[in-house]
Amino acid sequence: MSLLELPSNREERWRWSDLSALPEIAARAPSGQMPERLPWLDCATPGPRLLFVDGRLVADASEPGDVALGTVEAPVGEDALGRLVGSEGWTLRLGSGHAPLGLVQVIHVSTGAADHLPARIELDVDAQASIVETFLGDGWTNRLTRITLFKGARLMLSRRILTASGYVSLSDRVAVGEGASFVLTTLAGGGADTRFDGEVHLAGNAGFAEVGGALLARGRQRHDANLVIRHEQPNGQSRQVWRSVADDQATCSVAARVEVARGAQKTDGEQSLKGLLLSRTATINAKPELEIFADDVKCAHGATVGELNRDALFYLASRGIAPAEAKALLTASFVADAIERIGEEDVRTAFLDDANAWLAHGGAQS
Amino acid sequence: MSDVRNREAHDAAEKAATYEWGFTSDIEQEFAPKGLSEDTVRFISGKKNEPEWMLDWRLKAYRKWLEMRAPDWAKMQVPPIDYQDAYYYAAPKKKIELASLDELDPEIRRTYEKLGIPIEEQKVLAGVAGARKVAVDAVFDSVSVATTFREELKKAGVIFLSISEAIREYPEMIRKWLGKVVPMHDNYFATLNSAVFSDGTFVYIPEGVRCPMELSTYFRINAANTGQFERTLIVADRGSYVSYLEGCTAPMRDENQLHAAVVELVALDDAEIKYSTVQNWYPGDSEGKGGIYNFVTKRALCQGRNSKVSWTQVETGSAITWKYPSCVLAGEGSVGEFYSVALTNNRQQADTGTKMIHLGKNSRSTIVSKGISAGRSDNTYRGLVRVGPTAENVRNFTQCDSLLLGDQCGAHTVPYIEVRNPTAQIEHEATTSKISEDQLFYAMSRGLSQEDAVALIVNGFAREVLKQLPMEFAVEAQKLLGISLEGSVG
Amino acid sequence: MLKIDNLHATIADKPILKGLDLSVNAGEIHAIMGPNGAGKSTLGYVLGGRAGYEVTEGAVTFDGKDLLDMGADERAAAGLFLGFQYPVEIPGVSNVQFLRTALNAQRRARGDEEMSAGDFLRLSRAQADALGMSMDMMKRPVNVGFSGGEKKRNEMVQMGILDPKLAILDETDSGLDIDALRVVGDGINRIMRKPDKAVLLITHYQRLLEIVEPDFVHVLAAGRIVRSGGAELALELEREGYGAIAA
Repeated sequence: MSLLELPSNREERWRWSDLSALPEIAARAPSGQMPERLPWLDCATPGPRLLFVDGRLVADASEPGDVALGTVEAPVGEDALGRLVGSEGWTLRLGSGHAPLGLVQVIHVSTGAADHLPARIELDVDAQASIVETFLGDGWTNRLTRITLFKGARLMLSRRILTASGYVSLSDRVAVGEGASFVLTTLAGGGADTRFDGEVHLAGNAGFAEVGGALLARGRQRHDANLVIRHEQPNGQSRQVWRSVADDQATCSVAARVEVARGAQKTDGEQSLKGLLLSRTATINAKPELEIFADDVKCAHGATVGELNRDALFYLASRGIAPAEAKALLTASFVADAIERIGEEDVRTAFLDDANAWLAHGGAQS
Repeated sequence: MSDVRNREAHDAAEKAATYEWGFTSDIEQEFAPKGLSEDTVRFISGKKNEPEWMLDWRLKAYRKWLEMRAPDWAKMQVPPIDYQDAYYYAAPKKKIELASLDELDPEIRRTYEKLGIPIEEQKVLAGVAGARKVAVDAVFDSVSVATTFREELKKAGVIFLSISEAIREYPEMIRKWLGKVVPMHDNYFATLNSAVFSDGTFVYIPEGVRCPMELSTYFRINAANTGQFERTLIVADRGSYVSYLEGCTAPMRDENQLHAAVVELVALDDAEIKYSTVQNWYPGDSEGKGGIYNFVTKRALCQGRNSKVSWTQVETGSAITWKYPSCVLAGEGSVGEFYSVALTNNRQQADTGTKMIHLGKNSRSTIVSKGISAGRSDNTYRGLVRVGPTAENVRNFTQCDSLLLGDQCGAHTVPYIEVRNPTAQIEHEATTSKISEDQLFYAMSRGLSQEDAVALIVNGFAREVLKQLPMEFAVEAQKLLGISLEGSVG
Repeated sequence: MLKIDNLHATIADKPILKGLDLSVNAGEIHAIMGPNGAGKSTLGYVLGGRAGYEVTEGAVTFDGKDLLDMGADERAAAGLFLGFQYPVEIPGVSNVQFLRTALNAQRRARGDEEMSAGDFLRLSRAQADALGMSMDMMKRPVNVGFSGGEKKRNEMVQMGILDPKLAILDETDSGLDIDALRVVGDGINRIMRKPDKAVLLITHYQRLLEIVEPDFVHVLAAGRIVRSGGAELALELEREGYGAIAA
């Protein structure tokens, strides 16, 4: 596959990445093997549903509603994986007077090979949407999503990666307009390696962005997130909350940057990157970066890496809770920090259940 | 030739008198031929009567350097450097061997005075009775011209020599340690230094000895167009202690001058090295013209159990600073510390920080970085905390604070955290702030001028670091922060 | 000593003071009282020289000199002291260092010699003792981690050390319990009740005036002095409220 000119670790943005498995996956043929069950969420306000298998829409399992299928407008861009996505994908465009849509659900299934898909989300003035994307299967799923939020628009995008093996790479290019709000929450709770590339521009006055999630890794898994929130206008607010858990020989890496452009005064940017190591051979990498060109700003970050608090473990034990259970309990609350940002209760509950299922699966090993 | 050069430098210095340390001494200089080649390397080695092995080492480094590429500058704008358009060696023409400081060339003495060497140490230089003892090894351009208190140090068994002398007198020790902490091929500038280093300092503290005085070196770049390639090696044997002070100034020049030093520290079991730097090299004028390029490799190997190295730096000078005093914490229970104040004004660029590489069990590190940006400058903290898989119970605490003065400067924090052991506890915090109107008005309503108020608040911001410095150094550093900010608020 | 003539001032173009007249002579203590939002704190800041408070009309002289023409630090050197309602924290700078720098800056500006470290230490110990503040607190960073009462006490210590001619004390009594109020009030009397000094007490309540008895009381409302009188006016205000008098 000649398209695959992959970046090396010498490049700063790919410092902690391992893309060596991709050429092999890209050379495979899809098996067509579908999962037994598609985890559509039951929710109070159902909306459009899309099912993509190996990057192709399965029309009889989908109800696109307001989502358009076909050529996605917008240039592909230059980033290493995002440029592979081609032009056929899905588009959600909501006008300013649009009635609430209900929860948009997209399921991506990979049956063993590589597939690439672009998406476009554009919310006009004061429009609102909430989207959940779920990733399943065992190949390489590669996505590029371009998002534009006009004045006062609000988007809540929640993603859960339940892909059993293989690779999931998701790139996002987001422009947030005046007073608009963008919240992206990601849960990496499957067995696949992942790479998240996010670039969020707060392009209007008083924009809000929150990008975070939980990365759960075991075996030889690697999760790798690289995010930039760029404050281009005054009065913006951003939050980056990431929780990483690494067991066995796994590695979780988060590089998150807040940029404050010249003149973007009264910016309030906050980062919290925390890592939890569950085994002696696991690795956590973190790079909480600030790049500031304005003086009247409030930017702070905190990063911690360690194991579970021994005092807390002892406290739970002294109240009669068995060590394994205590460990699971504390790990769950550590992870929940990053997931509890999700607004809809149905979605939040589903994500917490997924995270707990991952943790329970690991409980036997520890 | 050198007369013309000096006259020109004088004129330049007079023109831009805003730099308090901008002056050139009228001492005859001897230069290596301009440019860099194997011949330059041989010339330098020959001038110093070096043994064959040392020349071979230099040539190996030079050949390695030819294959290397200059680093990719992260956030900095570095004009290309023409390595052929510089002198790599400049020495006062007469080789000076002094028994005491009184014999020192009065011109050099005046230079020290103009350098603003701390008052206490001026007393030491002047031989005032009762002055606290500080041994000074002055590196005047490339050759170490004087060391004081050699006798007293000798009594304690401390070796404090220029590195050229040490190569001749203690070849086994130099061969054992030189390039051990910063390998010859470590990075572009360290490799260049390995090939052409002209002089520097060697310190050895024997087992169980607490060095009876603070050791001090003043670096000074005097000649035009001479790269300064210092080499410092400090070995603290088991259970020993030494505090080493390094102050740097450079006269004003129109052209940028390259400074690429290498400092290697080795601490064996239970040894402690405290290394303090105040750097106020010429930063260039307010438009960014001139100024020193300060590309320095400083690294400590805490090899022994419970060994400790503490780096403290106050960086206010240089047009471009690129330095990361680091600690390889190999010994069980070893401790690394990094306390830094970096102040940039006008068009200065500073990219500084530290690497704490934890390999030993129970090793601990503390990082406190205070960045102050003013004018149109850029100030970056770049650091790495790495915990190896066998390093149990590692602790690190990092605090990075940035203070911005004005809305045309930049402050950046780029910390890397890489942890491979679950028993580690790593904490990193960073904040960004400015001087509040409230603070400024409060101080002014008590009678302080705006500039004094700013200097006071900035000193308060930097206090945690300044208090790590030896007393008289701290006083100098406080003044320096005030001076460096003059005219930046208004 | 202080003469304010038809003073108008704005914050961000919003008029706050609208033609205020006031004369303070040496040896006098004046209290300025008034409801919230009347412009009391603005008056303090305008006299102190804070940026953002723009004088649009009127004049203020201090010992015959144009006060409004001076920077905040020059006003301090001329002998004016502003006691803050919310004293500011300055991390990393000790109280002693701060005050010594300030005192010597003022002395230099007046052409006096700087005070030696020993003399300064004696002076600050005496002032701290008189206000029941430990030297330990004097060595802590300016106001950092101080309680509200400690901050106000610290303002009085500063006043004692800087020894001004005119003190403008903005709500110095707020946040003080009854004992602290006594200490602060006694401090004001001790330091400032002298024939060559004067005080402008800006306050909302009458209780401080029981300890520091004013010679004159002025009621400030809507940016102007609407009524002046003796100490008995404060009692009347306490009894009847501002509504009746300011109306």
